[in-house]
Amino acid sequence: MLIYTINRLLQLIPVVFVLTVVVFGFVHALPGDLIDAMGGTESIDDPEVRAALEKELGLDQPIVVQYWLWLEKVVQGDFGNSLITRRPVATELLERIPATAYLAVVGIGLSLLIAIPLGTIAAVRRNSITDYTAQITSLIGISIPEFWFAILSILVFSLYFNLLPSSGYVGPGEDFGLSIWYLILPAVAIGFRQAAYTTRLTRSSMLDEIGKDYVITHRSLGLSERKVIYKYTLRNALIPTITISGLQFANLLGGTVVLETIFSWPGIGLTIYQAIQLRDYPVIQAGILFLGFMVVIINLLVDLLYRVLNPRVGTGT
Amino acid sequence: MTDLQLRSRHRTDRVAADETPFRIHMRRLRSNIGNAFYELRKSRTASIGAILIACLMVIVVFGQSLATHDPIKSNYRDRTAPPSAEHIMGTDKFGRDIYSRVIIGGQRTILISMAAVAFGLAIGIPVGICSGFYGGRFDSIIMRVTDGFLAFPGLLLYLLIVTVAREWKLYGFWNDAILVFALGLAFWPEVARLARGTALVEAKKEYVEAAQVMGERSFLIAMGQILPNCVSPLIVNATVRLGYMILIIAALSYLGLGTPPPTPDWGSDLRAAQDHLESHPMIAVFPGLAICFSVLAFNLFGDGLRDILDPRLAER
Repeated sequence: MLIYTINRLLQLIPVVFVLTVVVFGFVHALPGDLIDAMGGTESIDDPEVRAALEKELGLDQPIVVQYWLWLEKVVQGDFGNSLITRRPVATELLERIPATAYLAVVGIGLSLLIAIPLGTIAAVRRNSITDYTAQITSLIGISIPEFWFAILSILVFSLYFNLLPSSGYVGPGEDFGLSIWYLILPAVAIGFRQAAYTTRLTRSSMLDEIGKDYVITHRSLGLSERKVIYKYTLRNALIPTITISGLQFANLLGGTVVLETIFSWPGIGLTIYQAIQLRDYPVIQAGILFLGFMVVIINLLVDLLYRVLNPRVGTGT
Repeated sequence: MTDLQLRSRHRTDRVAADETPFRIHMRRLRSNIGNAFYELRKSRTASIGAILIACLMVIVVFGQSLATHDPIKSNYRDRTAPPSAEHIMGTDKFGRDIYSRVIIGGQRTILISMAAVAFGLAIGIPVGICSGFYGGRFDSIIMRVTDGFLAFPGLLLYLLIVTVAREWKLYGFWNDAILVFALGLAFWPEVARLARGTALVEAKKEYVEAAQVMGERSFLIAMGQILPNCVSPLIVNATVRLGYMILIIAALSYLGLGTPPPTPDWGSDLRAAQDHLESHPMIAVFPGLAICFSVLAFNLFGDGLRDILDPRLAER
């Protein structure tokens, strides 16, 4: 396990390398040079100012050196200043993390809460009406674009029935009841796709498990069906389900850009969206790097967790 | 194997003495297509998916003739009209016919996603197969690179590329080309991994050894012998991915990063419709339904295809 962990950590190096190169290259792929990009809408014409800025930003160095200097700063948490607010990017992002984390965790929790029972029942009552309903619903669920679902839910629950707020955010620390009120629509919108995926996954891994010999053994021992299913089979079927849900969590983070924009949810996703609109490149860079890095970490943790839950998996790389 | 299947397989091998190679080839092709239809009918999911995809293809090919109005031309007398005989899905806030916009926008979206899948497959398959077949250092480098690409969740890689494209002020064809590039760039690592996984298994089989003994060049073995055996998971993956790409394209243009207006586009039309949600909710319904329909078509077909190609899974 220790060797596996070390190996897995070493594998992170190239991943983070690709991630940082792409994010670093992004700014350099823009038309004009970095100084124009930094100036935003104002153009900097004075050659002396340009030269001074070039020196300050290290633009007179070869690109590899520039990358290295940038990386050094990033490792220290220095992403530069926002071009719009002139505040450090890291501070801006840190303020936005709780909202995204809150939304993502509740969203995925909600999806597991719906999907695991639904997938299990569908597998246990295979080829029944329940099973078909679950299958069709989940297939439709993965085909609906999140933002359309979000728009329709705003239309129905906020505009027609006036039940829930259509946008906004209240932190759970400020007023818990109110924060849940604001959270319902975004969390459902972000969770339903996951729920659809996870239902399909739970169903198929349950069916896998139900066919195994140990289930027959338990049944022949005279254990009640409920005990066989819920105590033994489900527990094993959940290993792949939880693992893949963990990996899906990464996708969910990527999806926050759209959903946070629709619901004006002040998280990382909305920050990235606004930065794209305002051409605030350091914020785009930092935001995407941050989300990408989170994904890498989550994938690592999920992999390690999988090994712990399922020690039979060989420890080869 | 059922009788019918056996018969259909044998039919290809019965060759009369006077037949030309071309006729033999055509006959095999015909019987292969016949087999494909036969197999397709076995899965209801795949059949429904195939019918829906056929509808989409009709839209792609005959889109211009199917559209009843000019999708871009505004008509201020007919603004936000409800569905009627003249405008079967109504009109938007500029009086443009929503039905025509959905059709023409769909044509573009589907073509882009098909091109992107083709691009991703074209890079991913050779890279993945060689990676699995040759192994060694090449394999580990490629796999680490794919890891790096796969670390970009969901939209993020596209966001970066499309933002750069926007700054270069690329419009029209080049804007679509960048979208194809971005979508394909994010797709090939997945293809490569899948192809590598299958190629790893296939490379150990006897037929590869036989080819090696016969002195065939290793690249030809990889492409000629191993590739055909890796195709099924790739087809399933590519089908499902087509649907996913439609979702991504719609999401990007919803965020205002797709083709600029007035080009019809499901995502940006939805965004525009959102401003009139309270007074004219119907405008937001049809582009969304169109997205669902096409994604569902590919998902259904992909699901059914997987069951057909891997009967073990169908029993689940």
